[in-house]
Amino acid sequence: MSEPVIETHVEVDASELPRLTPHTHPLWWGVLGAVAIEAAVVANLLTSYFYLMAQNEVWPPEGVDPPDLLYATIVLFVLPLSSVTMWWAGRGSDRNRKTQLALGVTASVGLATLALVFRSFQIAAFDIRWDEHAYGSILWAITGFHFTHVVSAILGTAVVSILAWKNYFTSERQLGVVVDTLYWYFVAGVFIPIYLVLYWAPRWL
Amino acid sequence: MTDLDPALDLRRSRHDPVPEHLAELERTWLSPPGFLGWFTHVNHTSIGLRFLITSLVFFMLAGLLGLAMRMQLLSPLNGFLDPDTYNQVMTVHGTAMMFLFAIPAMEGIGIYLVPLMVGARDMAFPRLNAFGYYVYLIGGTTFFASLFLGLAPDAGWFNYVPLSNRDYSEGYGIDVWTTMITFIEVSALTAAVELIVTIFKLRVPGMSLHRMPIFVWAILVMAFMILFAMPSVIVASAFLMMDRLVETQFFVAEMGGSPLLWQHLFWFFGHPEVYIILVPALGIVTTIVVTFTQRPVFGYTALVLAIVGIGMVSFGLWVHHMYTTGLPLLGRSFFQAASAMIAIASGVQIFSWIATLWGARIRFATPMWFVLGFFGVFIAGGLTGVMVASVPFDRQVHDTYFVVAHFHYVLVGGAVFPLFAGLYYWFPKATGRLLHEGLGKWSCAIIFAGFNVTFFPMHQLGLEGMPRRVYTYLPEMDWTFLNQLSSIGSLILAAGFALTLWNVIRSLRHGADSPPNPWHAPTLDWATTSPPLNCNFARQAVVESRHPVWDWSRDGKRGVVDGLRSDRRETVVTTLLDARPQSVQILPKPTPWPFFSAVIASICFFGLIFSPWFYVAGVFGTFVTFVFWFLPRKREEVV
Ligand code: HEM
Repeated sequence: MSEPVIETHVEVDASELPRLTPHTHPLWWGVLGAVAIEAAVVANLLTSYFYLMAQNEVWPPEGVDPPDLLYATIVLFVLPLSSVTMWWAGRGSDRNRKTQLALGVTASVGLATLALVFRSFQIAAFDIRWDEHAYGSILWAITGFHFTHVVSAILGTAVVSILAWKNYFTSERQLGVVVDTLYWYFVAGVFIPIYLVLYWAPRWL
Repeated sequence: MTDLDPALDLRRSRHDPVPEHLAELERTWLSPPGFLGWFTHVNHTSIGLRFLITSLVFFMLAGLLGLAMRMQLLSPLNGFLDPDTYNQVMTVHGTAMMFLFAIPAMEGIGIYLVPLMVGARDMAFPRLNAFGYYVYLIGGTTFFASLFLGLAPDAGWFNYVPLSNRDYSEGYGIDVWTTMITFIEVSALTAAVELIVTIFKLRVPGMSLHRMPIFVWAILVMAFMILFAMPSVIVASAFLMMDRLVETQFFVAEMGGSPLLWQHLFWFFGHPEVYIILVPALGIVTTIVVTFTQRPVFGYTALVLAIVGIGMVSFGLWVHHMYTTGLPLLGRSFFQAASAMIAIASGVQIFSWIATLWGARIRFATPMWFVLGFFGVFIAGGLTGVMVASVPFDRQVHDTYFVVAHFHYVLVGGAVFPLFAGLYYWFPKATGRLLHEGLGKWSCAIIFAGFNVTFFPMHQLGLEGMPRRVYTYLPEMDWTFLNQLSSIGSLILAAGFALTLWNVIRSLRHGADSPPNPWHAPTLDWATTSPPLNCNFARQAVVESRHPVWDWSRDGKRGVVDGLRSDRRETVVTTLLDARPQSVQILPKPTPWPFFSAVIASICFFGLIFSPWFYVAGVFGTFVTFVFWFLPRKREEVV
């Protein structure tokens, strides 16, 4: 073999490096990527809303009221509140306070479920069906999109809370919590632009 | 012992792993053999190859459909394909080439090469990778199956409403199209996230961003483009699915909807899509130019900026597909200017390549031939591109064969030639054998000639007014000769591709053994055995420049990482910008759950064609499999 001999020397010793780093783990970046995708979907949905709005002279169509404010506005406060409990749970997990973690995530699941109930009331009260006009279609589509996300966030967090009560999360194994929290913030936060567009755009614009 | 990783050769250094140690490492990273084992693989080398091979099979099938169309157009009023079949064949050809061949092939080559090039042992989310592959496989296979069942879509690859609305397209064809699109979105998005995180976090120590190979930059840009472009086609196809399934009115003009909304959403994805295909190809071309001139690329920073610039500007171009839809003048002018701007970034690249090639002693092996073919064909496509980017010209040739000629020049020039260059270049990496040079050069020459004979006459046909998407034409139009020329060309073209196929089959059995670094390339993908070890690298490297392998043979020494465990899958995580060592990621073992998730998700996607309840079933069904997928690993494995 004519290849020259290559001397190997160790420059990095990885045995000292931490194995479990919930806040810089690649999975954290992965969830950030998922959030970016979802945010882009929301942006497309909201842009479509305005596009359709611009194509129609009357919006919502003749004889249709914009959706009711009451329940949606309650949800607007309940969801961020559930993020606060989620954040509190995350702090508990960072400091290895297991009960705090378990209580926090359970509270979040409870609050979000409450939000879903309110949401359902309010959907039932929509003044238009999805097949009556493009306005109805986009209203239902955006609402359904967000509803599904709340459901999936609740499901995922429910699993986390069961594991938390079973004492699964040691301080090294809290990655699942960190990731779940990140996704939760997104689902709660994205309701704000959705709320503004669906509930206020037809009133203001 | 020619195919050894330098780190394995025990004569060389006392820091290299002892054989027992390496054997354990290889067992840890082994993909289980056997038929059932196949469904549990997660290693990126295995998934990346699957993506590539599957996409090449789809390329072949879609190519045969292209031939079928050419046979139909061989003479006026030909009866080879009836009109309905022609529409289906045309739609499946276009859709499959774009969604089932070009994008997945680029993803596949990225998935296979990126971890090797950045020196990682695997990708950041191996199971997600596998999931994306199965979704793609199932979606693509069903799509082709629909053609044989006569259920194929027939509204063209961009599927415009109102034609594709329920009122004008009954039957399941369009539903098959929207469903297939959903599959491809899912698999492309998983691959994109996967690639981004791998590139950001799993580069070996020392590979700061400005030392990353251009190919890796290109894949990074591609992944970001997928991330921001795909969501709009997700929204578009979801709207269309709902219009057809539950009678929403998004695209129905009488009910307040807007057909143009479809065009905006589709092209906001569709135009970047073309660059999603092109950008990785530029990475391949640069890699080959560097290796075959044996010099660093000229203007590294400019080249990176140009690639990033192309990625960004391409999002501002979509409206140039819609010049004939009655847009306001200002809008058209804006997009015309933006379309011209992309030429600047492309120019920077071309000059970087020219400067790198200038005065170098170029090694003219087959990959380099394909790169030269790329230059010729792609530049010709770029010229017609500048022509159709101008509004008045476009209004003349819109929907004629001129456009068909243009986009085949860009797509075949911009994707197929570079991909084949890459195939000849990396085949030894993946198989340990060299492809036959003589056959390769003949194949390249025949493809080049056949391609031009097929597609060049279409420019003229278009200028003479022949519309695209017609199943036949009349004898008195005087289009017969050029069509015949084109059809004959397509046979030559097919022969050229067949030659490479034969070359691959032959070389797998009888090809000459490849030395570890047959082209004397500078990047880390060549710093291991061919085919790569199960663990990719016996020792992860530490790099100090853009050309680590050249440095090592010049200095006679190299730095490595020590202290990774060999009884579980570990790879080093580094910081985003400077690639300083930060932590170690523990990667998952082989598992069948991604496969089960993909099957459940697929059943529900297809079920959606028949009933909206499958949506609910899908959400819960995939959720359950995901729980099993992520179910906490045993304590010993984690800590
Ligand atoms: C391999 C040789 C190929 C042949 C012989 C071929 C032939 C054709 C022909 C004749 C048409 C025109 C159909 C019509 O307008 O009536 C067509 C359309 C098209 N081709 Fe190809 N093609 C080839 C390769 C490719 C490749 C590699 C790509 C993309 C990567 C591609 C993408 C398309 C697309 C997107 C359309 C438009 C379909 C539509 O109008 O909806 N083709 N091809």
